[in-house]
Amino acid sequence: MTRHRFSILLTAILLIVSGTSAHFSTRTTAAAQAKPFLSDAQFAAVLKTVRPAPAEDAFAEIPWLTSLWDAREKAAKLGKPILLWEMDGHPLGCG
Amino acid sequence: MATEDFVPVSGDDWYQRRRKDAEGRFFMQIAEQGHRKGAGNDTRQGIYVFTADGEVLWAKNTGHDAAYTKGELKRALAQYQRLPAARRAAGAVTVPVHGPLDTNYTRTPPTGGLILKVNTRILDKKDGAYTKGSCDRVGGAMSARDYLWLTKPEVQSLAPPNTEEGFTYDVPKKLADRIARFNLVDNTRGEPLPWGQQDVRKCRMTLTAVGGNAEYIELRLDGEAVMASDADPVKAETGYDVRLLGKLRYVLAKQTFDQFEVAAVGDHWGDGPFTKGARPGRHPLGVTFGLVTGDNPADRVPPQAARNQDDYFGKASK
Repeated sequence: MTRHRFSILLTAILLIVSGTSAHFSTRTTAAAQAKPFLSDAQFAAVLKTVRPAPAEDAFAEIPWLTSLWDAREKAAKLGKPILLWEMDGHPLGCG
Repeated sequence: MATEDFVPVSGDDWYQRRRKDAEGRFFMQIAEQGHRKGAGNDTRQGIYVFTADGEVLWAKNTGHDAAYTKGELKRALAQYQRLPAARRAAGAVTVPVHGPLDTNYTRTPPTGGLILKVNTRILDKKDGAYTKGSCDRVGGAMSARDYLWLTKPEVQSLAPPNTEEGFTYDVPKKLADRIARFNLVDNTRGEPLPWGQQDVRKCRMTLTAVGGNAEYIELRLDGEAVMASDADPVKAETGYDVRLLGKLRYVLAKQTFDQFEVAAVGDHWGDGPFTKGARPGRHPLGVTFGLVTGDNPADRVPPQAARNQDDYFGKASK
């Protein structure tokens, strides 16, 4: 056993004994050593592909308020009408 | 136009029509002048233009093309400008103090927690690389949106108990299941139902310290999960067999994360009662998570599943 691994093992044992490790395991084996299922380039590509492309969510560029009461107060202050986009499932956070 | 001529606001009708407070009453005053008046407990969704003192100028359900809607908004704006100046001048309307919120139907991000923006998109795989998927359903290929709220205790539960490089520990099972049930879902065609706890057939997420210094610890998240409507995923009508990879950074002095980038990819199949039209068969679905500050009102929109906050947070942590 290498000094590094012994150190980790010792730390793990101490954590278990001290009762502070209730929620985590103390392995440093498979997960630590396994190769991630995506390379760095693939990881970055998935993030970019899944997230909205520039201009894909044009509606999101509008500075929507999410409180109708705040909108009412702002409209009264500015002398503007209110445009409410109301959906069953928040338009900015559901699908 | 929406930004310059109006005060734009968006909302979830599910909350608004149920709220028993000043905002809820004002919303129903508006809705009862619109296209869904007298709808009882049913939806009032749509687009509304109205004055700060509560007069509706135009209302219509969504789903019309942009040119039509823009024309209608222009007409509504012209109607507003024909109102007496005494009603539409800046400061002419006095809005009363709101008073207590109906906490049954308002949601705020957990104090001391984190907000993650979640995006989902159907994917294809070509030459070993994931590309944007295509489908017949209008809008079904677009990136869908939701949020994940982590409570302060949950953030603390993700803190590395050992900063030594290579140390691996589990994401608490309850939190991993919560992420799987509410965020590893196909919401690309609209409002999804979350997975039930019984649908989570496999779910494990680990964090591994992979670097850092005296200020922060870099962590890698590895995970895999299978959610399926049948104990045998091969027979299940709906399911998602997914792997996760994340890059997180825990700031020691702040005891929180300033980076939380996660990508989840796997095969999804089937649809739900409100999300018909899934691609037949099993196809890649990608889900990403990333931190937002919450400074933008849009980033404080509650997670879709937080309507049922007992289920979302778990009764014990409510």
